[in-house]
Amino acid sequence: MSGPPGAGKTMLARCLAGILPPLALDEALEVAQIRSLLGELPAHTPLDWVRPFRAPHHGVSMAGLIGGGAGVAQPGEISRAHNGVLFVDELAEFQASVLQALRQPLEAGRITITRSGGSVAFPARFTLVAATNPCPCGWAGDGRRACRCTPAVVDAYRRKLSGPLLDRIDLKVNVRRVPPTLLANEPVGERSAIVRERVIAARAQELERQGCLNAFLKPARLRRHAALESAPRKTLERWAEQQGLSARGFHRAWRVARTAADLDGSDQIAEHHVLEALGYRLHDAAA
Amino acid sequence: MQPPDEASLHARGRWPPAPGPRAAIVGSRNASPYGEAVAEELARELAAAGVVIVSGLAVGIDAAAHRGALNGGGVTVAVMGTGVDIVYPAAHGELAARIIAGGGALVSQFPDGTLPRRHQFPARNWTMAAISDVVVVVEADQRSGALITAEAALELSKDVMAVPGSVFSPMSVGTHGLIRDGAALVQNTRDVLAALKVPRSEVLDDPLKTPQRLGFELGRDADGIVIHLSDTMAVSAAELARKLQLPIAEVVGRLTSLELEGAVRRLDAGYVRSLRRGKGRA
Repeated sequence: MSGPPGAGKTMLARCLAGILPPLALDEALEVAQIRSLLGELPAHTPLDWVRPFRAPHHGVSMAGLIGGGAGVAQPGEISRAHNGVLFVDELAEFQASVLQALRQPLEAGRITITRSGGSVAFPARFTLVAATNPCPCGWAGDGRRACRCTPAVVDAYRRKLSGPLLDRIDLKVNVRRVPPTLLANEPVGERSAIVRERVIAARAQELERQGCLNAFLKPARLRRHAALESAPRKTLERWAEQQGLSARGFHRAWRVARTAADLDGSDQIAEHHVLEALGYRLHDAAA
Repeated sequence: MQPPDEASLHARGRWPPAPGPRAAIVGSRNASPYGEAVAEELARELAAAGVVIVSGLAVGIDAAAHRGALNGGGVTVAVMGTGVDIVYPAAHGELAARIIAGGGALVSQFPDGTLPRRHQFPARNWTMAAISDVVVVVEADQRSGALITAEAALELSKDVMAVPGSVFSPMSVGTHGLIRDGAALVQNTRDVLAALKVPRSEVLDDPLKTPQRLGFELGRDADGIVIHLSDTMAVSAAELARKLQLPIAEVVGRLTSLELEGAVRRLDAGYVRSLRRGKGRA
C-alpha cells in the first residue's frame, strides 16, 4: 500500500486479520510450537485460533526479523508471523539488506539458519503486507498538499523501494487520503465478517479443486487447474509483452486472476479477472 | 538584478539564433497533463510559425515546451541553471541532444562545470526573460519559479502572458494571479503571435486544438468510465467505484483495459484521460 500519512494504511493492514479465516488445527499447532520455543506459550490457553499479526519496527535487526541471534538460534518475526500476517510499515525505512533477506522465506515458506554447529530451519510462511509513502515527505500525488521533494530525491526513494522484493508483491495499491467530508457521510462498507465468509468460501473452492491454496500452485499445476480461455489468455500475454513482465510476474498475475475468479464464485477465469489482477501491478514505481 | 549580455552567454549549439521573434514558455515542474499538453501544443504551433522557443530544460512544462518545438520542426533554446556542459536534470540528456541537433542551443550565464545550486535558478530565470520577447506562463502554483521569470519579464519590460486553468487546480493559482494582475490571457497560439506582432495573426477566440487521441475501440462498458475522467485531476479507482456504484474489482479491471488501449494513464494515485498520442505510457 502506497499513500500519504494518515491515509489508513496501518489500519487496513490490521483489519486483514479480521477477514482471514481462523487457524486450522494443524496451523494452530505450528503456531503453538513456535511460541513454545520462544517461551511464550500461555499456560491456560495454549492453542490460539487467531492468526498471528506481527508488525516489526523498521529498526529491527536481521536476527530479530529473520531469526538467529547469538547462542541458540531463535525464531525471528517472520516465524512469529507463521500462518499469519507480517506487516512491514514504512518499507523505505528498513535496511535494504534486511528486506532482501525476506525473499527466501517468501519463496520457500521457511528459513534455514546455518551455524558452524549445524543448521536449523524454522517455518516462516506468512502473508506479507507492506506500507510506504510515495516519497520522503509523503505527499507526492496527494492533489491537495504539494510534495516538497526534488525529483532526484523522489527518484532515489522509488529506486530504493523497487527491486526483487517489490517484484514478488502481488497486489500493489495506492491508498489516498479520505477527505474529512466523506468520512462523515460515507455509508458503512461491508463488514469484516461478510468479507471473511467470502474468503472462506473461496479458499474452500480452491482446496476442493486442487488441494492447496492458489498461492502455492506451481506453473505446471497452474496450467492444469487455472486454465485460461482464449480472450483472458490474450489479454494476459498482451500486457506481459507491453509491460515487460518477467516469467515470475506472469505466473503471479495468473494466480491472482485465479483467486479473483474464486472470490467471484466462478470456476472459469474471465477476462475481467485477468484485468483486475493486472491492475494491481503498479508499474510506475521506478523503471 | 542585471541579466548578462546575450553575447556573453556560454553556449552549445547555434547561438544566437537567426533573427526573429522569441517566446519563453515556462511553468511548474509538477505540471498536470493539461499543462503539459498546452505547453507542447503552443510550442509546436509557435515553432512551426518560426518563433524560437525558450525554456529551462526542467521537468514538466519546460520539457513539454522543448518537445513541442522540436515536434514542430522549429528551434528551441534551453537556458541552464548549470554550466552548459552539465545536463540537469540528468534524465534530459537525450532531449538536450535533440535541441542542439535541431538547430537550437543550450545556453548559460554560468561557467562550464557549474553544478546545480538553488540560488542559480532565479538568476537563470532572469536570463530567460532577458533573451525572450514575451514570457508565457502555462501553469504555476503559488510558489513556482515561473513567477520569478514573470517578474523579471515585467522589470525588463517584456510582455507577460498566462494560460488559465481549472479553478479547482492548485497548479493554476499562480497563472490566474498573473492574469488578475494584468498579464495577457492566452487561449490559443494566435494570442501569443499577436503579442509578438507576427503579421497575419488576428486574435480570434477559438480554443487551442486538442491533441488527437489515438483511435481505439471502446467497448460498451468502457465508455461509461472515460466520461468520468478529467484531463488534469486524477480520480482513483475507489472514487470511480463510488461514483458509478460499481464493485471496485470491476472498476480496476475496466481501468486496466483502458490503460492497455492507451485511453487512460496512471497519474499520482489515480487515473486521468490520456491526451497523448501513443499507447499506454509506463
